[in-house]
Amino acid sequence: MVSGSTVTKLALRVSDLSAMRSGRTILYPTSLNIAPAERIGIVGSSGSGKSTFGHALIDDLRRQGHSVAQVPQSPDEALDPLRSMAFHWQEAERALGLKPGTADREALFATLKIEKGDMRKRPWGWSRGMQQRFVIAMALIGAPDLIVLDEPTSALDPVVAAATMQLLDQHLTEQNIAMVLITHDLGLASKWVSKLAVMQDGHLVEEAATQDILNTPQTKAAQSLVAHRNWMALPC
Amino acid sequence: MLTVDTIAVKRGSKLALQNIAFTLAAGKTLAVVGESGAGKSTLIAAILGFLKPIQGQIAWSGQPVRSCRPALVMQEPRAAFNPVLPLRRSVLEPVVAAGQSVPEARIKRLCDGLEIKEEILERRPNEVSIGQAQRVGILRALIAAPPLVLFDEPLSALDAVTQKHTARLIRDLQAEEGFAALIVTHDLGYAVAHSDEIAVLRAGQIEEISTPQQFVTAPKAGYCQALRDAAIALGGLEAAA
Amino acid sequence: MSKTLFGLLLRTLVVLAGTAFLTFALLWNAPGDPAAAIAMARFDALLSQEVIDQVREEVGLNTSFWPAFWSWLGPLLCFDFGNSAVTGRPVWPDLWGAMTYTFPLAFAGLMIGLGVALPLAIFAAKRPGRLSDRIAVAIASLGAAIPAYWLGLLLILLFAVQLGWLPAMGARTPAHAILPALTLGLGVAASLTRIIRSGILEARGQAFLPAIQRRGVPEAAIGRDHIAPHAAIPVITVFGLELAFLLEGAVLVEVIFGRPGLGTFLVSAIAARDFPQVQAVVLLTALVFVVSNLIIDLLYRLIDPRIGERDA
Repeated sequence: MVSGSTVTKLALRVSDLSAMRSGRTILYPTSLNIAPAERIGIVGSSGSGKSTFGHALIDDLRRQGHSVAQVPQSPDEALDPLRSMAFHWQEAERALGLKPGTADREALFATLKIEKGDMRKRPWGWSRGMQQRFVIAMALIGAPDLIVLDEPTSALDPVVAAATMQLLDQHLTEQNIAMVLITHDLGLASKWVSKLAVMQDGHLVEEAATQDILNTPQTKAAQSLVAHRNWMALPC
Repeated sequence: MLTVDTIAVKRGSKLALQNIAFTLAAGKTLAVVGESGAGKSTLIAAILGFLKPIQGQIAWSGQPVRSCRPALVMQEPRAAFNPVLPLRRSVLEPVVAAGQSVPEARIKRLCDGLEIKEEILERRPNEVSIGQAQRVGILRALIAAPPLVLFDEPLSALDAVTQKHTARLIRDLQAEEGFAALIVTHDLGYAVAHSDEIAVLRAGQIEEISTPQQFVTAPKAGYCQALRDAAIALGGLEAAA
Repeated sequence: MSKTLFGLLLRTLVVLAGTAFLTFALLWNAPGDPAAAIAMARFDALLSQEVIDQVREEVGLNTSFWPAFWSWLGPLLCFDFGNSAVTGRPVWPDLWGAMTYTFPLAFAGLMIGLGVALPLAIFAAKRPGRLSDRIAVAIASLGAAIPAYWLGLLLILLFAVQLGWLPAMGARTPAHAILPALTLGLGVAASLTRIIRSGILEARGQAFLPAIQRRGVPEAAIGRDHIAPHAAIPVITVFGLELAFLLEGAVLVEVIFGRPGLGTFLVSAIAARDFPQVQAVVLLTALVFVVSNLIIDLLYRLIDPRIGERDA
């Protein structure tokens, strides 16, 4: 589908994803539509099944042939401490079927402000903030249809986390990339996404525009998240 | 009253803290915020007497801090307990160490205050949720009625809803018990909502000590301002109207 | 890096010097009269005190400890191990001859061990806890439980006596080395299998692996580029210990199969109280250990430079 000079991306859809762990259902059949370049937050308390849903979503969209990138919670969950940054980068390129060195590394590094990182070093030779940005840069190779971020800020210091989110936000807008943000923190999600999906006990219980959920949450789970979304919103 | 009088602390050959000075009165809460590596954990170790300042002094009402038997609440709730013992044994440690009798009534009252059932004390750390484990951690800290309690990132292992709930329980207990609380956190929203004063630590030095109100409306230009703006961008704080 | 290399070399030298001193001191102070033992080995009969005293003077046992130590250490630095106290011949050629039997045997044992252990461990680790894994682990445990002398006799019985395929005793042809190398190798394979298996399983549990899989990297590449290096670290550690097992085992195996080599050399030297020979073997063993540990240390640092940094 080509309209004018820009490529319009397809809408993404997953339906009836479910998951079991040791005989227990941890995700009941769940569906979600993601419009091109849409920003969706999957929110819920711990154990609500949001990360499980996120993983199932990635695997399913991959099977459908879409390019989906993932950024785990902490760089420790994304980078092999025994391998250099250059190795990780080339590995990611090869996995996408690109020849090593063909991805526009300079541009992505400049976007995320990590041009100064030494690629010969191993992950622990970089600060954690820079590692996390490197992982995000890797996820953006080849402009995927969707990037899935799992608690992307929790391993970072607030100032670095905020700056990283801002840089990422800008890049996603420019490149028309959709985003799914998985977090327990509705306050964080509401700043960066236009639609929210609220999870509870393995069910997707509520799905609506961010403002609607903030103003008129329907379910108990959403009401609790809204009431606790930031420290000042509470009756102290 | 806790008095930290212009201390400097070394870690190895590096100066980890310098020029740190503040006081903390009974019943009051001081939040220490800063990024990782700023010296927050070093400060706690110094107050507890595990690290000796190379300069300046730390005292509780003129006495060494150890003499008031301060308590510590740690970041990882489950790791703070012996994994093979029922929680009750761990909870009673401070009392047993002091050679006192088991204060059943107090356990019951604190359990009520922390909204946990007394039965869960019979379980082992991995048989309770993280949120419950952290409340049992607070119970253990408070069991011997310490006048000073140090909290090291007490909420960062919990989810957003549990965080706020636990914070409120801590504050209500503090109002009843009257202990002085020093809370180390990277979460500016928590600091603003639940402390009387905020100290911003950066690279081993205090950038600014101010009230939450001041901090939200007019933080010191530079790092403190960046910290406030970041908290707003990440949804932890609302911009002042 | 050059600084750590220097440190490692220095450590190696200190260990060697310490070993030299200790072996000398221990043998010097061993109970019994060494001169009498030497004289007996030479002349093979009960001897008069005169002859024994003559031997004592000849071999240099009549001086005190320090002069004797220095006069031994001096030539040693130029790789001169002195002459045998019994035969009077220089130690080095005989020792070298023994090494040409033992080292290839030990190397063959190691290769057989690795050749058996690596596929077995990879097979076992493919589906941990399943039947295939349990069988592999059981085979490995059995191998570790069987003593080398028994396994050696079993192999002789089967391949030499029953089937008549292979020679059992001596070392005349390369075929003579097959059974001893198998005996040695199967013992090594047993412990290596378990280490490699648990190394792979531990490496598979690394937190970053799911993300790399989700990135779309093929399984074979993950095994080669991520699991293998992580699994190698514990395996390399054990390799140093495995070497001790190999040399120990070689001594035993040489006796069982009637092969010449370091084991036979050492046993006869100890029986005859042949100081220079015993010391030479001990020093050689120490050298092998220290050098292999040096190589292991360097390998560690190559795979995971954090190991070097933590030491500093």
